[in-house]
Amino acid sequence: MSDFDSELDATGLNCPLPILRAKKAISAMEAGQTLRIIATDPGSVKDFEAFCKQTGNELLSSGEEEGKFTFMIKKAA
Amino acid sequence: MSVRLPGPERRESILKAARRLFSEKGYHGVSIDEIARKVDVSPAILYRHFKSKQMLYDAVLRAMSAQRESYVQTIINSGTSFEDVLTGMTQVYIKSISENPDLLRIELQSLLDKNPATSDFFKNRWKSFTDYIEFSLNERLPYDTPNREVTILTAALMFQGMLREALLQKYLQPEDRLVDVSLHELSHELVRMFLRSVGIEKSHLSRRGVING
Repeated sequence: MSDFDSELDATGLNCPLPILRAKKAISAMEAGQTLRIIATDPGSVKDFEAFCKQTGNELLSSGEEEGKFTFMIKKAA
Repeated sequence: MSVRLPGPERRESILKAARRLFSEKGYHGVSIDEIARKVDVSPAILYRHFKSKQMLYDAVLRAMSAQRESYVQTIINSGTSFEDVLTGMTQVYIKSISENPDLLRIELQSLLDKNPATSDFFKNRWKSFTDYIEFSLNERLPYDTPNREVTILTAALMFQGMLREALLQKYLQPEDRLVDVSLHELSHELVRMFLRSVGIEKSHLSRRGVING
């Protein structure tokens, strides 16, 4: 079993597309569920931090490996 | 006699003067001596902060990109329809240029200077728009649209051209006949015309979108 409920591939997309797609994905999820996002835009790190801070969704983790940024977001109750 | 300023403040004042001069005259039109004179320091002091003109120029660009527009707020606050997002992004971009019109001048200068650092910087700024438009139209345009790929690229180019021209008219030629139209009104109308031209009428905006011909 995977440790997330939905996944979003935002590789190759520039701001604001990753954020926009994440917003749409999260709105279709239940509170408490997690979304994993993979992005390649370096600006997405700051963007997802700001996004979570302002929406109240929890940024569980954020990491980078070989130019790919991975974010885990838990939908707020 | 020049006034003695603490290091960071001096650096800041050099950056500010350099940004202004580069925006007015382009990279090749400005010398280190001229920038030094403008902030009332000797070239030697300026070189203590920035080792070369190229490094100073790069620092000006870096400082500007640190203020890169963030579309996060727009996405959080606005709807997720193509029209809402495009309108929101346009407002953010316009606000950023209105706070710093030097950006517009440096962009034009950089097109002539062929400085790779600058052209990448401005290309990426416009890429937010063109990528968004291309991606969204690609999702919406029927697959049997004639010349589909070219249509999508052209639509993105058209939007970039419209918005850039509106900004040029408002900020670089303020005496012109558009003086009574606010940039806000102008941009709203441009977005509306753009949507109509790619076949999106406001009343048709839905998750699936409607684009025909």
